Amino acid sequence: MCGVSGILHKSPASGALAPVGDQLIRMLEPMTHRGMDSSGVTIVGEQPEGDFVVRIWTDSPREAADVLSRAEDTIRMVGGVVCAKRNTGQFLRLVINYEGETAELAAALLETPGVALHSIGHTSEVIKDVGTPVVMDERHDIAAIRGTHGIGHVRMATESIVDVNHAHPFWAYPFPDVSVVHNGQLTNYHKLRRMYEDQGHHFQTGNDSELIAVYLADKLAQGEGLEDSLRASLVDLDGTFTYLVATREGLGYAKDEWCAKPLVTMETDDVIAIASEEIALLGILPPKMVGEEINRVEPQKSEVMTWLL
Amino acid sequence: MAAPGSEITVLNPNARHNLGVGIFENCSVRFTGSVGYYAASLLDGPEVVIEGNAGWAVGDNMMSGKITVTRDAGASAGSTMRGGELFIGGDAGARAGISMKGGSLVIGGNAGFLTGFMMQKGRIIICGDAGEALGDSMYEGTIYVAGNIASLGADATVEEMSEDELIDVLTVLEAQGITDKRSFTKVVSAKRFYNYDSLERLEKSAL
Repeated sequence: MCGVSGILHKSPASGALAPVGDQLIRMLEPMTHRGMDSSGVTIVGEQPEGDFVVRIWTDSPREAADVLSRAEDTIRMVGGVVCAKRNTGQFLRLVINYEGETAELAAALLETPGVALHSIGHTSEVIKDVGTPVVMDERHDIAAIRGTHGIGHVRMATESIVDVNHAHPFWAYPFPDVSVVHNGQLTNYHKLRRMYEDQGHHFQTGNDSELIAVYLADKLAQGEGLEDSLRASLVDLDGTFTYLVATREGLGYAKDEWCAKPLVTMETDDVIAIASEEIALLGILPPKMVGEEINRVEPQKSEVMTWLL
Repeated sequence: MAAPGSEITVLNPNARHNLGVGIFENCSVRFTGSVGYYAASLLDGPEVVIEGNAGWAVGDNMMSGKITVTRDAGASAGSTMRGGELFIGGDAGARAGISMKGGSLVIGGNAGFLTGFMMQKGRIIICGDAGEALGDSMYEGTIYVAGNIASLGADATVEEMSEDELIDVLTVLEAQGITDKRSFTKVVSAKRFYNYDSLERLEKSAL
């Protein structure tokens, strides 16, 4: 099992971002029974004081400061300027100005010793950690982060190790602002991974869900639209899956042909909310709607959907 | 709490899992809101009303009793049920009535993918449309569909429906206040998968 959630505010008032971080935590917390190994969110919408937010993690607590300065050197080397930096233990967050190719920046960062790259985004960042959503919120103050939309995940590991890198969301390296959360198992993971590695794609973990991020990155690189890419994945990915994708523009989901993993959606006047279970949707109902019947829909087999701002 | 004859109302169930499980008394239980997974499962006797949606596997393995879900049910509604009646007012998700071994499953709306998968006994009535692979690999039992069938599953076949059967189905629906469905497609097992070369122990002793 795993739990996924997503929320999108349909028409956020200009300049006033919604409490997306708080809402994602409130959706994930009641689904903690679906997975307690790790948690993560992608929150989209906040305009940083620079071109990109870069999220890095390093496995050595003692070397965090060194890794941060090495990452800064790398960014400068490829022509970027670091505007702001912050490290919370082993988690490093950089805001940079950079006008080159994201692929070049990402590749250079990955070659930097100690760097695990969680995301590069214009208006989004991936935050993930081991433990439950409540623990993650305590460590990273997720609830304070505002945005227009986002996705979240609680993980019960079934096929690869439990650590921060193997937590979801997975960023669609090297595409800014594209990331996925997944509930399920991919049975043609090794076959597709070998194929994509032969084509020069990069994998940072042994988690099968990372394949979906790479898959979508490859489709988007070929100029395919998001919805077409999701639809194609129903055929190309083998196994059981319900996954959500966040981009700079919106959200989407894809659900496999076996209809094997749960998903419910809800639409109110203001928001689209998606989650593995209804209990997550009820967690973010505005007070005036509590106790009322909600417009809950359960997507069926081979369904994809996108909502764009 | 669930003593014979008692009436229990559960307020604010909040879509939590495993509510109203394993009740063996002839009592009545009402949930004033949506419930999560395995709601009203392992029942033998009670009457349960869920005013809202149900998650996966509502009414799982019911022996006897009656369950009403006023809105939609998730996947596997009435899985392995052996008796009693499960009524879903709205739509049912994938695999409703999977491995059903008796009783009646009535779906007021549409039914999802693989409804009646490996069904062994009992009756499923679908007032709306049925999804793909209806009655896939069913052994016995009957499925009645008022709407369209996206596709039949492996070894499922359409059979002529008798007048007595129609009266039976209409009576069941009438009890739920559904009176606008008059004709149905009946789906049963074609039994082309029946390739058993030996009988089970109890079957042998019956000969």
